[in-house]
Amino acid sequence: MKDVLIIDDDDSVRAALKRVLERAGHSVRTAESGADGLRELRDRCADVVITDIIMPGQHGVDAIKAIAKEFPRARIVAISGGGNYGVGEYKPNAITTTAYLTAARNAGAHAVLKKPFETRDLLDAIGGAGKEDR
Amino acid sequence: MAPLRLSITSTLALVVLGIHALLLPALYFGLGIVIRDSHTELFVQNVRTLSRHLAEEMEGGDVPESKRRVADFLDLAILRGEGVYAELVDNGVSTRSNLNSPDLHWAGAEDFEFGQGGDFVYWIKLPVERPGHSAELRLGFDERPISAQIRLATRRILVALAVYLTIALSMALAFGIALSRPVLKLKRDARRIASGDYSRSMRLDTRVRELHELGADLENMRGELVGVGQRLSAEIDERKRGEVKHAELERRLRHRQRVETVGTLAGGIAHEINNALLPIMLLAESALAELPEGSAMRPDLEGILSSARRAKEIVAKVLTFSREAGQAQLERLDLEPVTREALRLFGMLVPSSVDVRFDIDGPCPPVIADAALTVQLIMNLCTNGYQAMNGQFGKLSLSLRVERVEAGEGQPAAGDYVVLSVTDTGHGMDAATLEHIFEPFFTTREVGQGSGLGLAVVHGIAESFGATILVESAVGRGSTFRVYFPVADRAVGSTTEARDLSGVRV
Repeated sequence: MKDVLIIDDDDSVRAALKRVLERAGHSVRTAESGADGLRELRDRCADVVITDIIMPGQHGVDAIKAIAKEFPRARIVAISGGGNYGVGEYKPNAITTTAYLTAARNAGAHAVLKKPFETRDLLDAIGGAGKEDR
Repeated sequence: MAPLRLSITSTLALVVLGIHALLLPALYFGLGIVIRDSHTELFVQNVRTLSRHLAEEMEGGDVPESKRRVADFLDLAILRGEGVYAELVDNGVSTRSNLNSPDLHWAGAEDFEFGQGGDFVYWIKLPVERPGHSAELRLGFDERPISAQIRLATRRILVALAVYLTIALSMALAFGIALSRPVLKLKRDARRIASGDYSRSMRLDTRVRELHELGADLENMRGELVGVGQRLSAEIDERKRGEVKHAELERRLRHRQRVETVGTLAGGIAHEINNALLPIMLLAESALAELPEGSAMRPDLEGILSSARRAKEIVAKVLTFSREAGQAQLERLDLEPVTREALRLFGMLVPSSVDVRFDIDGPCPPVIADAALTVQLIMNLCTNGYQAMNGQFGKLSLSLRVERVEAGEGQPAAGDYVVLSVTDTGHGMDAATLEHIFEPFFTTREVGQGSGLGLAVVHGIAESFGATILVESAVGRGSTFRVYFPVADRAVGSTTEARDLSGVRV
């Protein structure tokens, strides 16, 4: 059983992740933004933080950096909906989902997942059985 | 009234005529006088000598005393010379020759010059010493044969002068033609050149040195003109090619904008759909796991799950498609016109508080790049520099130069590069910031003021060309971004996927 914090601006994504993870036996909290997530963590640290990368307002890369710095023991899993999102900022050649996820890794994420992913991939990433970077 | 213009030939003829109109009459009359004088002098000498001989003969002892003998003697005197009259007056007795013309009479004391008296007779009076007294010998000589000789001689001179004048005029005409022929050729050739035909040589086949040199000089000028013409037409061709390239670049930019619009839509939709698919997949899986084996709902949930997976594949394909449609078209590219185009576009966006300068260090060899992406790269670098000035006055300097890089730490691979530098006078960056500037979403600006993607895009584009970016910056001193484009002959393979950003050298 792990204490998991989910940071994602999409309600249905948060709800689904929470349900699947709880069913797998984990304890789950959620936050709508990076700032909310940090507040939750300061309230009580988590074993695993799952955070979206592309969110309105503050994006996930900054959140990952802050979490990695403040809570070095928390395992960070970055998830991205793919697509080079952002009106007027779509650059087909220059920035790919891979680049975003790479930026997330550089910022301190231990694992990265492209949405949508299978339950098994998620559980592997949380448990550390998936691809490790550190 | 227009000034009278004469051809070379007629000018020369008129000059020759003019000179001779003065010279020839003077010559004619001068020669006439000389001839007349010499003829008459000779005549006068002859007849005087003859007359003196006669007089001496009459003084000698042989002189017959009788009138008759005197008359005979006079007759002989007339016959010996050209005499027409002979008379001896001795003691008041006049003895005349029988051969005397009956209508001739002693002209008196005045007529002793050639041509005087109008009687065509040259009169001579000589004293003859007789024993005890003095007699007078009166002789008359015909002037007409000598006058005829003089007339003949002057007529011959006139003919000679006329022949001379004819020859002089002919020579003047021939010389005029010889002069004017090459000049006329030059005129024709000059008109031909004026009408755009540079093919004829201007060299002159003439013995006149000045004309020959003039022809040689004009021929040199023609050569220059042909060279200038060729250079001009080459420049025009070059400009046309440039316009074609410019049009091609614009077409690609428009194409890329369309692709980007589609890509933006696709990316945005993909993001939303992927977010929506995630709960469907996770919850369906979860529900399936809960259902007992053989439940009637199992095929339904499996249907939902497989449809969701199919939707995921479709979204991935759409993204791949939009990415491929926007792939870099790598080609040999001259960076100068591309940089100017980017600056033209950037100039439309930037306020006049920013002084944008572009400096190129001689012609640069072509590089391998995508024109539209290079424009975007330059515009992003410029925008970054402009934003670093925080709306203050500042200078943005761009330059292109060729650089040979030797192997070394913190350098691009050894080789030849065209280096694009963008230097701003903005706030600059510290070392910690420099480490992250090429990461997506990394920005030093307030939320909402910058996307944090501009330099990530620059990096991605540069990587796709095999170009390397070096950055120099110091807080308060502005920044310089140098993009090293490998020159075309050591072309680097295409890479359209962005690479691992940890490889950024700063």
